[in-house]
Amino acid sequence: MSARISAKSLRYLIVIGLIALWELLPRAGLIPELFLPSLSSTLIAGWTDAGEYGHALAVTLYEVVVSMAFACGGGILLGAIVGSLPRPRILIMPMVSSLYAVPLVILYPVFTVWLGIGSESKIAFASIYGFLPTMLATAAGIQTIDPQLLLAARSMGATLSQRLVRVIIPAAIPTVLSGLRVGGALVIVGVVVSEMLISSAGIGYLISRYRTILDSPHVFAGVLLVLFLAIGFNAVIRWIEGKAAIWQTGTRAGQANDEIAVNAMQPAT
Amino acid sequence: MQPLANVTQLKPAARAGAIEVKNVGQVFKTRSQDVVALEDVSLEVKPGRFVVLVGPSGCGKSTLLMMMAGLRQQTAGTITISGAPILQPDPDRVGVVFQEASLFPWLTAEDNVEFPLALRGVPKAERRAKAQDALKLVGLDGFGRRHPHELSGGMKQRVSIARGLVQDPPVLLMDEPFAALDEQTRMTMGDELLRIWAATGKTVVFVTHSLTEAVYLADEVIVMSARPGRIVDHLQVQLPRPRTYEMLSGDAFGSLRDRIWRHIRKSA
Repeated sequence: MSARISAKSLRYLIVIGLIALWELLPRAGLIPELFLPSLSSTLIAGWTDAGEYGHALAVTLYEVVVSMAFACGGGILLGAIVGSLPRPRILIMPMVSSLYAVPLVILYPVFTVWLGIGSESKIAFASIYGFLPTMLATAAGIQTIDPQLLLAARSMGATLSQRLVRVIIPAAIPTVLSGLRVGGALVIVGVVVSEMLISSAGIGYLISRYRTILDSPHVFAGVLLVLFLAIGFNAVIRWIEGKAAIWQTGTRAGQANDEIAVNAMQPAT
Repeated sequence: MQPLANVTQLKPAARAGAIEVKNVGQVFKTRSQDVVALEDVSLEVKPGRFVVLVGPSGCGKSTLLMMMAGLRQQTAGTITISGAPILQPDPDRVGVVFQEASLFPWLTAEDNVEFPLALRGVPKAERRAKAQDALKLVGLDGFGRRHPHELSGGMKQRVSIARGLVQDPPVLLMDEPFAALDEQTRMTMGDELLRIWAATGKTVVFVTHSLTEAVYLADEVIVMSARPGRIVDHLQVQLPRPRTYEMLSGDAFGSLRDRIWRHIRKSA
Protein backbone atom coordinates (compact mmCIF):
# COMPACT_ATOMS: atom_id res chain seq x y z
CA MET A 1 0.00 0.00 0.00
CA SER A 2 2.70 2.48 0.97
CA ALA A 3 4.66 1.64 -2.19
CA ARG A 4 1.62 2.46 -4.31
CA ILE A 5 1.06 5.81 -2.59
CA SER A 6 4.68 6.81 -3.01
CA ALA A 7 4.53 5.84 -6.70
CA LYS A 8 1.48 8.04 -7.05
CA SER A 9 3.09 11.00 -5.30
CA LEU A 10 6.20 10.43 -7.37
CA ARG A 11 4.05 10.75 -10.48
CA TYR A 12 2.64 14.04 -9.19
CA LEU A 13 6.14 15.25 -8.40
CA ILE A 14 7.29 14.47 -11.93
CA VAL A 15 4.33 16.33 -13.44
CA ILE A 16 4.89 19.33 -11.16
CA GLY A 17 8.60 19.26 -11.96
CA LEU A 18 7.94 19.25 -15.71
CA ILE A 19 5.51 22.17 -15.35
CA ALA A 20 8.08 24.08 -13.33
CA LEU A 21 10.76 23.36 -15.95
CA TRP A 22 8.38 24.53 -18.67
CA GLU A 23 8.15 27.86 -16.91
CA LEU A 24 11.76 28.20 -15.76
CA LEU A 25 13.85 27.00 -18.71
CA PRO A 26 12.52 29.51 -21.27
CA ARG A 27 12.55 32.31 -18.66
CA ALA A 28 16.17 31.62 -17.83
CA GLY A 29 16.94 31.84 -21.53
CA LEU A 30 18.15 28.24 -21.71
CA ILE A 31 15.55 27.48 -24.40
CA PRO A 32 14.57 30.14 -26.98
CA GLU A 33 10.94 31.26 -26.58
CA LEU A 34 10.39 30.37 -30.25
CA PHE A 35 11.04 26.69 -29.52
CA LEU A 36 9.31 26.55 -26.16
CA PRO A 37 7.43 29.58 -24.85
CA SER A 38 7.14 29.67 -21.08
CA LEU A 39 3.97 28.32 -19.50
CA SER A 40 2.88 31.79 -18.40
CA SER A 41 3.19 33.35 -21.86
CA THR A 42 1.33 30.34 -23.30
CA LEU A 43 -1.50 30.81 -20.83
CA ILE A 44 -1.60 34.54 -21.46
CA ALA A 45 -1.77 33.95 -25.22
CA GLY A 46 -4.63 31.52 -24.72
CA TRP A 47 -6.43 33.85 -22.33
CA THR A 48 -6.23 36.95 -24.54
CA ASP A 49 -7.71 35.03 -27.45
CA ALA A 50 -10.04 32.91 -25.31
CA GLY A 51 -12.96 33.52 -27.68
CA GLU A 52 -11.06 32.18 -30.65
CA TYR A 53 -9.86 29.12 -28.74
CA GLY A 54 -13.31 28.53 -27.30
CA HIS A 55 -14.82 28.49 -30.75
CA ALA A 56 -12.07 26.19 -32.01
CA LEU A 57 -12.58 23.86 -29.05
CA ALA A 58 -16.32 23.74 -29.74
CA VAL A 59 -15.68 22.77 -33.37
CA THR A 60 -13.14 20.12 -32.41
CA LEU A 61 -15.31 18.72 -29.63
CA TYR A 62 -18.27 18.47 -31.97
CA GLU A 63 -16.18 16.59 -34.52
CA VAL A 64 -14.74 14.30 -31.84
CA VAL A 65 -18.12 13.46 -30.34
CA VAL A 66 -19.76 12.70 -33.69
CA SER A 67 -16.75 10.68 -34.87
CA MET A 68 -16.74 8.68 -31.63
CA ALA A 69 -20.41 7.89 -32.04
CA PHE A 70 -19.71 6.56 -35.54
CA ALA A 71 -16.44 4.82 -34.70
CA CYS A 72 -17.60 3.23 -31.47
CA GLY A 73 -21.16 2.48 -32.48
CA GLY A 74 -20.16 1.07 -35.84
CA GLY A 75 -17.11 -0.68 -34.42
CA ILE A 76 -19.08 -2.41 -31.66
CA LEU A 77 -21.92 -3.39 -33.99
CA LEU A 78 -19.73 -4.77 -36.75
CA GLY A 79 -17.30 -6.29 -34.26
CA ALA A 80 -20.18 -8.13 -32.60
CA ILE A 81 -21.36 -9.49 -35.95
CA VAL A 82 -17.89 -10.46 -37.10
CA GLY A 83 -17.02 -11.95 -33.72
CA SER A 84 -20.11 -14.10 -33.39
CA LEU A 85 -20.46 -15.45 -36.92
CA PRO A 86 -17.68 -17.60 -38.35
CA ARG A 87 -18.19 -16.79 -42.04
CA PRO A 88 -17.85 -12.98 -41.85
CA ARG A 89 -14.92 -13.54 -39.55
CA ILE A 90 -13.05 -15.58 -42.14
CA LEU A 91 -13.96 -13.10 -44.88
CA ILE A 92 -13.38 -9.81 -43.13
CA MET A 93 -10.81 -10.27 -40.37
CA PRO A 94 -7.73 -10.74 -42.59
CA MET A 95 -8.69 -7.67 -44.62
CA VAL A 96 -9.26 -5.57 -41.53
CA SER A 97 -6.04 -6.70 -39.91
CA SER A 98 -3.92 -5.79 -42.93
CA LEU A 99 -5.81 -2.52 -43.36
CA TYR A 100 -4.83 -1.70 -39.82
CA ALA A 101 -1.20 -1.31 -40.86
CA VAL A 102 -1.98 1.19 -43.64
CA PRO A 103 -1.45 4.85 -42.63
CA LEU A 104 -5.03 5.91 -43.22
CA VAL A 105 -4.07 9.55 -43.26
CA ILE A 106 -3.25 9.11 -46.95
CA LEU A 107 -7.01 8.92 -47.49
CA TYR A 108 -7.67 12.30 -45.93
CA PRO A 109 -6.99 14.42 -49.05
CA VAL A 110 -9.50 12.21 -50.87
CA PHE A 111 -12.10 12.90 -48.20
CA THR A 112 -11.61 16.65 -48.56
CA VAL A 113 -12.29 16.28 -52.28
CA TRP A 114 -15.44 14.30 -51.59
CA LEU A 115 -16.75 16.13 -48.54
CA GLY A 116 -15.10 19.55 -48.55
CA ILE A 117 -12.80 21.06 -45.95
CA GLY A 118 -15.49 21.47 -43.27
CA SER A 119 -16.29 19.18 -40.36
CA GLU A 120 -17.63 16.40 -42.58
CA SER A 121 -14.27 15.31 -43.93
CA LYS A 122 -12.76 15.33 -40.42
CA ILE A 123 -15.60 13.27 -39.07
CA ALA A 124 -15.34 10.76 -41.91
CA PHE A 125 -11.60 10.40 -41.49
CA ALA A 126 -11.57 10.21 -37.67
CA SER A 127 -14.49 7.76 -37.66
CA ILE A 128 -12.67 5.32 -39.90
CA TYR A 129 -9.46 5.87 -37.97
CA GLY A 130 -11.06 4.99 -34.61
CA PHE A 131 -13.40 2.36 -36.01
CA LEU A 132 -10.85 -0.37 -36.68
CA PRO A 133 -9.45 -0.96 -33.18
CA THR A 134 -12.93 -0.78 -31.65
CA MET A 135 -14.19 -3.36 -34.10
CA LEU A 136 -11.18 -5.65 -33.62
CA ALA A 137 -11.48 -5.46 -29.83
CA THR A 138 -15.21 -6.17 -29.88
CA ALA A 139 -14.76 -9.13 -32.20
CA ALA A 140 -12.01 -10.47 -29.94
CA GLY A 141 -14.13 -9.84 -26.85
CA ILE A 142 -17.02 -11.84 -28.23
CA GLN A 143 -14.83 -14.65 -29.47
CA THR A 144 -13.17 -15.11 -26.12
CA ILE A 145 -16.38 -15.50 -24.09
CA ASP A 146 -16.15 -18.70 -22.08
CA PRO A 147 -18.42 -21.20 -23.90
CA GLN A 148 -19.24 -22.77 -20.51
CA LEU A 149 -21.12 -19.60 -19.58
CA LEU A 150 -23.30 -19.86 -22.66
CA LEU A 151 -23.86 -23.56 -22.05
CA ALA A 152 -24.83 -22.86 -18.43
CA ALA A 153 -27.26 -20.15 -19.55
CA ARG A 154 -28.78 -22.53 -22.07
CA SER A 155 -29.19 -25.22 -19.41
CA MET A 156 -31.22 -22.73 -17.41
CA GLY A 157 -33.53 -22.20 -20.34
CA ALA A 158 -32.13 -18.91 -21.68
CA THR A 159 -33.39 -18.00 -25.15
CA LEU A 160 -31.07 -16.62 -27.81
CA SER A 161 -31.95 -13.00 -27.02
CA GLN A 162 -31.61 -13.62 -23.27
CA ARG A 163 -28.19 -15.08 -23.86
CA LEU A 164 -27.22 -12.02 -25.89
CA VAL A 165 -28.45 -9.48 -23.34
CA ARG A 166 -27.59 -11.31 -20.12
CA VAL A 167 -24.41 -13.19 -21.04
CA ILE A 168 -22.70 -12.12 -24.25
CA ILE A 169 -22.92 -8.35 -23.76
CA PRO A 170 -21.84 -8.25 -20.10
CA ALA A 171 -19.08 -10.76 -20.77
CA ALA A 172 -17.74 -8.68 -23.69
CA ILE A 173 -17.84 -5.32 -21.91
CA PRO A 174 -14.26 -5.28 -20.54
CA THR A 175 -12.71 -6.06 -23.92
CA VAL A 176 -14.99 -3.63 -25.72
CA LEU A 177 -14.01 -0.90 -23.25
CA SER A 178 -10.33 -1.45 -23.93
CA GLY A 179 -11.16 -1.15 -27.62
CA LEU A 180 -13.04 2.09 -26.95
CA ARG A 181 -10.03 3.45 -25.12
CA VAL A 182 -7.78 2.91 -28.14
CA GLY A 183 -10.47 3.81 -30.67
CA GLY A 184 -11.45 6.99 -28.85
CA ALA A 185 -7.85 8.12 -28.56
CA LEU A 186 -7.39 7.56 -32.29
CA VAL A 187 -10.54 9.59 -32.99
CA ILE A 188 -8.98 12.56 -31.18
CA VAL A 189 -5.76 12.07 -33.13
CA GLY A 190 -7.70 11.79 -36.38
CA VAL A 191 -9.70 14.96 -35.80
CA VAL A 192 -6.74 17.10 -34.75
CA VAL A 193 -4.42 15.82 -37.48
CA SER A 194 -6.99 16.36 -40.20
CA GLU A 195 -7.67 19.85 -38.88
CA MET A 196 -3.98 20.59 -39.09
CA LEU A 197 -3.72 19.34 -42.66
CA ILE A 198 -6.56 20.97 -44.58
CA SER A 199 -9.30 22.90 -42.79
CA SER A 200 -10.82 26.22 -41.76
CA ALA A 201 -11.64 25.69 -38.08
CA GLY A 202 -10.80 23.73 -34.94
CA ILE A 203 -7.86 23.52 -32.57
CA GLY A 204 -5.67 21.71 -35.09
CA TYR A 205 -6.35 24.50 -37.57
CA LEU A 206 -5.36 27.14 -35.00
CA ILE A 207 -2.14 25.32 -34.12
CA SER A 208 -1.26 24.99 -37.76
CA ARG A 209 -2.09 28.65 -38.57
CA TYR A 210 -0.13 30.12 -35.65
CA ARG A 211 2.78 27.87 -36.53
CA THR A 212 3.03 29.42 -40.01
CA ILE A 213 3.37 32.87 -38.45
CA LEU A 214 5.84 31.55 -35.82
CA ASP A 215 3.60 32.57 -32.91
CA SER A 216 4.81 29.92 -30.46
CA PRO A 217 2.74 30.90 -27.38
CA HIS A 218 -0.46 30.57 -29.42
CA VAL A 219 0.71 27.23 -30.87
CA PHE A 220 1.35 25.86 -27.41
CA ALA A 221 -1.96 27.17 -26.11
CA GLY A 222 -3.60 24.93 -28.74
CA VAL A 223 -1.35 22.02 -27.79
CA LEU A 224 -2.39 22.48 -24.17
CA LEU A 225 -6.07 22.34 -25.15
CA VAL A 226 -5.57 19.06 -27.05
CA LEU A 227 -3.75 17.70 -24.03
CA PHE A 228 -6.71 18.53 -21.80
CA LEU A 229 -9.07 16.97 -24.30
CA ALA A 230 -7.11 13.71 -24.20
CA ILE A 231 -6.88 13.72 -20.40
CA GLY A 232 -10.60 14.40 -20.15
CA PHE A 233 -11.37 11.52 -22.49
CA ASN A 234 -9.15 9.20 -20.47
CA ALA A 235 -10.95 10.20 -17.27
CA VAL A 236 -14.33 9.44 -18.82
CA ILE A 237 -13.19 6.00 -20.00
CA ARG A 238 -11.76 5.25 -16.57
CA TRP A 239 -15.01 6.23 -14.94
CA ILE A 240 -16.96 3.92 -17.25
CA GLU A 241 -14.50 1.10 -16.65
CA GLY A 242 -14.87 1.56 -12.91
CA LYS A 243 -18.64 1.35 -13.24
CA ALA A 244 -18.85 -1.54 -15.67
CA ALA A 245 -16.02 -3.85 -14.82
CA ILE A 246 -15.98 -4.13 -11.05
CA TRP A 247 -16.11 -7.88 -11.42
CA GLN A 248 -12.90 -8.21 -13.34
CA THR A 249 -10.30 -10.07 -11.36
CA GLY A 250 -6.77 -8.81 -11.60
CA THR A 251 -7.88 -5.22 -11.23
CA ARG A 252 -6.78 -3.39 -8.15
CA ALA A 253 -10.27 -3.54 -6.70
CA GLY A 254 -10.41 -7.28 -7.36
CA GLN A 255 -7.17 -7.92 -5.51
CA ALA A 256 -8.31 -5.95 -2.49
CA ASN A 257 -11.51 -7.97 -2.42
CA ASP A 258 -9.59 -11.24 -2.66
CA GLU A 259 -7.84 -10.38 0.59
CA ILE A 260 -11.20 -9.86 2.26
CA ALA A 261 -12.43 -13.18 0.88
CA VAL A 262 -9.47 -15.07 2.34
CA ASN A 263 -10.11 -13.62 5.78
CA ALA A 264 -13.79 -14.47 5.76
CA MET A 265 -13.59 -17.94 4.36
CA GLN A 266 -13.85 -20.14 7.43
CA PRO A 267 -17.54 -21.08 7.35
CA ALA A 268 -17.28 -22.82 3.97
CA THR A 269 -14.51 -25.19 2.94
CA MET B 1 -41.95 -53.24 -17.97
CA GLN B 2 -45.00 -52.79 -20.20
CA PRO B 3 -47.53 -51.84 -17.49
CA LEU B 4 -45.03 -49.44 -15.99
CA ALA B 5 -44.64 -47.65 -19.33
CA ASN B 6 -48.40 -47.18 -19.44
CA VAL B 7 -48.40 -45.70 -15.98
CA THR B 8 -45.74 -43.16 -16.94
CA GLN B 9 -47.80 -42.06 -19.90
CA LEU B 10 -50.81 -41.52 -17.71
CA LYS B 11 -49.20 -39.97 -14.67
CA PRO B 12 -45.79 -38.45 -15.32
CA ALA B 13 -45.81 -36.70 -11.95
CA ALA B 14 -45.85 -40.04 -10.20
CA ARG B 15 -42.39 -40.74 -11.61
CA ALA B 16 -40.87 -37.36 -10.85
CA GLY B 17 -37.11 -37.69 -10.80
CA ALA B 18 -36.94 -40.95 -12.74
CA ILE B 19 -34.52 -41.07 -15.66
CA GLU B 20 -34.80 -43.52 -18.51
CA VAL B 21 -32.16 -43.78 -21.21
CA LYS B 22 -33.11 -46.18 -24.00
CA ASN B 23 -30.78 -47.36 -26.77
CA VAL B 24 -29.15 -43.97 -26.98
CA GLY B 25 -26.42 -43.34 -29.52
CA GLN B 26 -24.43 -40.31 -30.54
CA VAL B 27 -22.49 -39.96 -33.76
CA PHE B 28 -20.35 -36.90 -34.44
CA LYS B 29 -20.03 -36.19 -38.13
CA THR B 30 -16.70 -34.77 -39.15
CA ARG B 31 -15.56 -34.06 -42.68
CA SER B 32 -13.49 -37.21 -43.04
CA GLN B 33 -15.44 -39.71 -40.95
CA ASP B 34 -18.24 -40.33 -38.51
CA VAL B 35 -17.13 -40.76 -34.92
CA VAL B 36 -19.34 -42.95 -32.77
CA ALA B 37 -19.21 -41.35 -29.32
CA LEU B 38 -21.96 -43.40 -27.71
CA GLU B 39 -23.46 -46.68 -28.82
CA ASP B 40 -26.65 -48.28 -27.61
CA VAL B 41 -26.59 -46.93 -24.07
CA SER B 42 -29.53 -47.87 -21.89
CA LEU B 43 -29.96 -47.23 -18.20
CA GLU B 44 -32.63 -46.51 -15.69
CA VAL B 45 -32.31 -44.32 -12.63
CA LYS B 46 -34.95 -44.53 -9.95
CA PRO B 47 -36.11 -41.34 -8.22
CA GLY B 48 -33.86 -40.17 -5.41
CA ARG B 49 -30.87 -42.31 -6.36
CA PHE B 50 -27.30 -41.05 -6.47
CA VAL B 51 -25.74 -42.41 -9.66
CA VAL B 52 -22.16 -41.80 -10.74
CA LEU B 53 -20.88 -42.15 -14.32
CA VAL B 54 -17.21 -43.05 -14.64
CA GLY B 55 -15.04 -44.06 -17.55
CA PRO B 56 -11.86 -43.17 -19.39
CA SER B 57 -11.50 -39.81 -21.11
CA GLY B 58 -13.52 -39.68 -24.29
CA CYS B 59 -15.98 -42.37 -23.23
CA GLY B 60 -18.87 -39.98 -23.76
CA LYS B 61 -19.98 -39.73 -20.13
CA SER B 62 -20.19 -35.95 -20.30
CA THR B 63 -21.92 -36.21 -23.66
CA LEU B 64 -24.50 -38.49 -22.10
CA LEU B 65 -25.02 -36.02 -19.28
CA MET B 66 -25.42 -33.14 -21.75
CA MET B 67 -28.08 -35.14 -23.56
CA MET B 68 -29.92 -35.78 -20.29
CA ALA B 69 -29.81 -32.02 -19.75
CA GLY B 70 -31.33 -31.40 -23.18
CA LEU B 71 -28.23 -29.47 -24.23
CA ARG B 72 -27.42 -31.88 -27.01
CA GLN B 73 -29.60 -34.18 -29.08
CA GLN B 74 -28.79 -37.86 -29.36
CA THR B 75 -28.68 -39.35 -32.85
CA ALA B 76 -30.49 -42.50 -31.73
CA GLY B 77 -32.74 -43.62 -28.88
CA THR B 78 -34.79 -41.73 -26.33
CA ILE B 79 -34.20 -40.10 -22.95
CA THR B 80 -37.10 -39.45 -20.64
CA ILE B 81 -37.00 -37.60 -17.35
CA SER B 82 -39.94 -37.66 -14.94
CA GLY B 83 -41.77 -39.68 -17.56
CA ALA B 84 -41.52 -37.25 -20.49
CA PRO B 85 -38.88 -37.05 -23.21
CA ILE B 86 -36.27 -34.36 -22.82
CA LEU B 87 -35.82 -32.48 -26.09
CA GLN B 88 -34.43 -29.18 -24.86
CA PRO B 89 -33.18 -27.73 -21.55
CA ASP B 90 -35.99 -27.76 -19.03
CA PRO B 91 -34.93 -26.18 -15.73
CA ASP B 92 -38.18 -27.26 -14.12
CA ARG B 93 -37.18 -30.89 -14.47
CA VAL B 94 -33.39 -30.79 -14.58
CA GLY B 95 -30.81 -28.63 -12.84
CA VAL B 96 -27.25 -28.74 -14.17
CA VAL B 97 -24.02 -28.05 -12.30
CA PHE B 98 -20.92 -27.51 -14.44
CA GLN B 99 -17.26 -27.13 -13.67
CA GLU B 100 -16.10 -24.13 -11.69
CA ALA B 101 -15.98 -21.66 -14.56
CA SER B 102 -19.71 -21.44 -15.17
CA LEU B 103 -20.70 -18.70 -12.68
CA PHE B 104 -21.27 -15.30 -14.25
CA PRO B 105 -18.38 -13.24 -12.90
CA TRP B 106 -20.23 -9.92 -13.18
CA LEU B 107 -23.08 -11.07 -10.94
CA THR B 108 -23.04 -11.51 -7.17
CA ALA B 109 -23.57 -14.97 -5.73
CA GLU B 110 -27.26 -14.31 -5.11
CA ASP B 111 -27.76 -12.81 -8.56
CA ASN B 112 -26.12 -15.90 -10.01
CA VAL B 113 -28.49 -18.14 -8.07
CA GLU B 114 -31.44 -15.98 -9.14
CA PHE B 115 -30.40 -16.05 -12.79
CA PRO B 116 -32.61 -18.96 -13.90
CA LEU B 117 -35.58 -17.37 -12.10
CA ALA B 118 -34.87 -13.98 -13.66
CA LEU B 119 -34.92 -15.62 -17.09
CA ARG B 120 -38.52 -16.60 -16.49
CA GLY B 121 -39.61 -13.27 -15.08
CA VAL B 122 -40.13 -14.37 -11.48
CA PRO B 123 -40.76 -11.23 -9.35
CA LYS B 124 -37.75 -9.83 -7.54
CA ALA B 125 -38.92 -10.49 -3.99
CA GLU B 126 -39.78 -14.12 -4.68
CA ARG B 127 -36.50 -14.58 -6.52
CA ARG B 128 -34.51 -13.19 -3.63
CA ALA B 129 -36.31 -15.37 -1.09
CA LYS B 130 -35.69 -18.53 -3.11
CA ALA B 131 -32.05 -17.65 -3.68
CA GLN B 132 -31.57 -17.05 0.04
CA ASP B 133 -33.07 -20.45 0.81
CA ALA B 134 -30.85 -22.15 -1.76
CA LEU B 135 -27.74 -20.39 -0.46
CA LYS B 136 -28.64 -21.37 3.08
CA LEU B 137 -29.07 -24.97 1.98
CA VAL B 138 -25.54 -25.10 0.53
CA GLY B 139 -24.06 -23.41 3.61
CA LEU B 140 -23.43 -19.97 2.11
CA ASP B 141 -25.79 -17.94 4.24
CA GLY B 142 -24.50 -14.38 4.33
CA PHE B 143 -22.25 -14.68 1.28
CA GLY B 144 -24.88 -13.61 -1.26
CA ARG B 145 -23.36 -10.21 -1.93
CA ARG B 146 -19.96 -11.56 -2.93
CA HIS B 147 -18.84 -11.73 -6.53
CA PRO B 148 -17.41 -15.07 -7.71
CA HIS B 149 -13.81 -13.79 -7.61
CA GLU B 150 -14.30 -13.07 -3.91
CA LEU B 151 -15.17 -16.71 -3.22
CA SER B 152 -12.94 -19.77 -2.90
CA GLY B 153 -13.22 -22.62 -5.39
CA GLY B 154 -15.36 -24.69 -3.05
CA MET B 155 -17.68 -21.77 -2.34
CA LYS B 156 -18.11 -21.10 -6.05
CA GLN B 157 -19.15 -24.68 -6.55
CA ARG B 158 -21.64 -24.33 -3.69
CA VAL B 159 -23.13 -21.35 -5.50
CA SER B 160 -23.39 -23.47 -8.67
CA ILE B 161 -25.22 -26.17 -6.73
CA ALA B 162 -27.54 -23.57 -5.23
CA ARG B 163 -28.22 -22.28 -8.74
CA GLY B 164 -28.99 -25.81 -9.92
CA LEU B 165 -31.41 -26.34 -7.03
CA VAL B 166 -33.14 -22.95 -6.94
CA GLN B 167 -36.03 -24.04 -9.18
CA ASP B 168 -36.39 -27.24 -7.16
CA PRO B 169 -36.06 -29.67 -10.09
CA PRO B 170 -36.32 -33.36 -9.16
CA VAL B 171 -33.09 -34.15 -11.03
CA LEU B 172 -29.64 -32.66 -10.56
CA LEU B 173 -26.99 -33.40 -13.21
CA MET B 174 -23.38 -32.70 -12.26
CA ASP B 175 -20.55 -32.65 -14.79
CA GLU B 176 -17.26 -33.13 -12.93
CA PRO B 177 -18.24 -30.39 -10.50
CA PHE B 178 -15.27 -30.85 -8.18
CA ALA B 179 -12.58 -31.56 -10.78
CA ALA B 180 -10.94 -28.16 -10.36
CA LEU B 181 -10.79 -28.33 -6.56
CA ASP B 182 -7.88 -29.42 -4.41
CA GLU B 183 -8.15 -32.79 -2.71
CA GLN B 184 -9.17 -31.60 0.76
CA THR B 185 -11.82 -29.24 -0.57
CA ARG B 186 -13.01 -32.03 -2.80
CA MET B 187 -13.53 -34.38 0.14
CA THR B 188 -15.40 -31.71 2.08
CA MET B 189 -17.56 -30.89 -0.90
CA GLY B 190 -18.37 -34.57 -1.38
CA ASP B 191 -19.69 -34.76 2.18
CA GLU B 192 -21.57 -31.50 1.68
CA LEU B 193 -23.15 -32.78 -1.50
CA LEU B 194 -24.29 -35.95 0.25
CA ARG B 195 -25.80 -33.83 3.03
CA ILE B 196 -27.65 -31.65 0.50
CA TRP B 197 -28.75 -34.72 -1.42
CA ALA B 198 -30.09 -36.36 1.74
CA ALA B 199 -31.90 -33.15 2.68
CA THR B 200 -33.55 -32.64 -0.72
CA GLY B 201 -34.11 -36.18 -2.00
CA LYS B 202 -33.04 -35.27 -5.54
CA THR B 203 -32.05 -37.77 -8.18
CA VAL B 204 -28.37 -37.05 -8.82
CA VAL B 205 -26.34 -38.09 -11.84
CA PHE B 206 -22.71 -37.24 -11.26
CA VAL B 207 -19.85 -37.51 -13.76
CA THR B 208 -16.32 -37.85 -12.43
CA HIS B 209 -12.83 -39.07 -13.24
CA SER B 210 -12.12 -40.04 -9.65
CA LEU B 211 -12.88 -43.64 -8.76
CA THR B 212 -12.66 -42.91 -5.04
CA GLU B 213 -15.14 -40.09 -5.39
CA ALA B 214 -17.40 -42.35 -7.44
CA VAL B 215 -17.58 -45.13 -4.86
CA TYR B 216 -17.71 -42.72 -1.92
CA LEU B 217 -20.71 -40.81 -3.23
CA ALA B 218 -22.74 -43.30 -5.18
CA ASP B 219 -25.66 -45.65 -4.69
CA GLU B 220 -24.81 -46.98 -8.14
CA VAL B 221 -21.72 -46.60 -10.30
CA ILE B 222 -22.07 -46.92 -14.08
CA VAL B 223 -18.79 -47.71 -15.81
CA MET B 224 -18.36 -46.78 -19.44
CA SER B 225 -15.80 -47.90 -22.01
CA ALA B 226 -13.70 -45.74 -24.29
CA ARG B 227 -14.99 -44.72 -27.71
CA PRO B 228 -17.46 -45.89 -28.74
CA GLY B 229 -18.91 -45.31 -25.28
CA ARG B 230 -20.86 -48.26 -23.94
CA ILE B 231 -21.92 -49.28 -20.47
CA VAL B 232 -19.61 -52.10 -19.37
CA ASP B 233 -20.65 -52.41 -15.75
CA HIS B 234 -23.34 -51.23 -13.37
CA LEU B 235 -22.35 -51.60 -9.72
CA GLN B 236 -24.53 -51.29 -6.66
CA VAL B 237 -22.63 -49.67 -3.80
CA GLN B 238 -24.02 -51.28 -0.67
CA LEU B 239 -21.94 -49.28 1.81
CA PRO B 240 -24.08 -47.83 4.60
CA ARG B 241 -24.89 -44.15 4.81
CA PRO B 242 -23.76 -41.73 6.02
CA ARG B 243 -20.49 -42.49 4.31
CA THR B 244 -17.42 -41.87 6.41
CA TYR B 245 -13.77 -41.28 5.75
CA GLU B 246 -12.90 -44.61 7.45
CA MET B 247 -14.77 -46.55 4.75
CA LEU B 248 -12.19 -45.42 2.19
CA SER B 249 -9.67 -47.87 3.61
CA GLY B 250 -12.13 -50.73 4.07
CA ASP B 251 -12.16 -53.94 2.01
CA ALA B 252 -15.63 -53.37 0.56
CA PHE B 253 -14.61 -49.96 -0.71
CA GLY B 254 -11.34 -51.24 -2.11
CA SER B 255 -12.86 -54.14 -4.01
CA LEU B 256 -15.45 -51.89 -5.65
CA ARG B 257 -12.78 -49.44 -6.69
CA ASP B 258 -10.60 -52.26 -8.05
CA ARG B 259 -13.48 -53.64 -10.06
CA ILE B 260 -14.06 -50.25 -11.71
CA TRP B 261 -10.35 -49.76 -12.31
CA ARG B 262 -10.02 -53.12 -14.10
CA HIS B 263 -12.74 -52.07 -16.56
CA ILE B 264 -11.13 -48.74 -17.21
CA ARG B 265 -7.64 -50.13 -17.63
CA LYS B 266 -8.96 -52.64 -20.13
CA SER B 267 -10.55 -50.05 -22.36
CA ALA B 268 -8.01 -47.23 -22.01
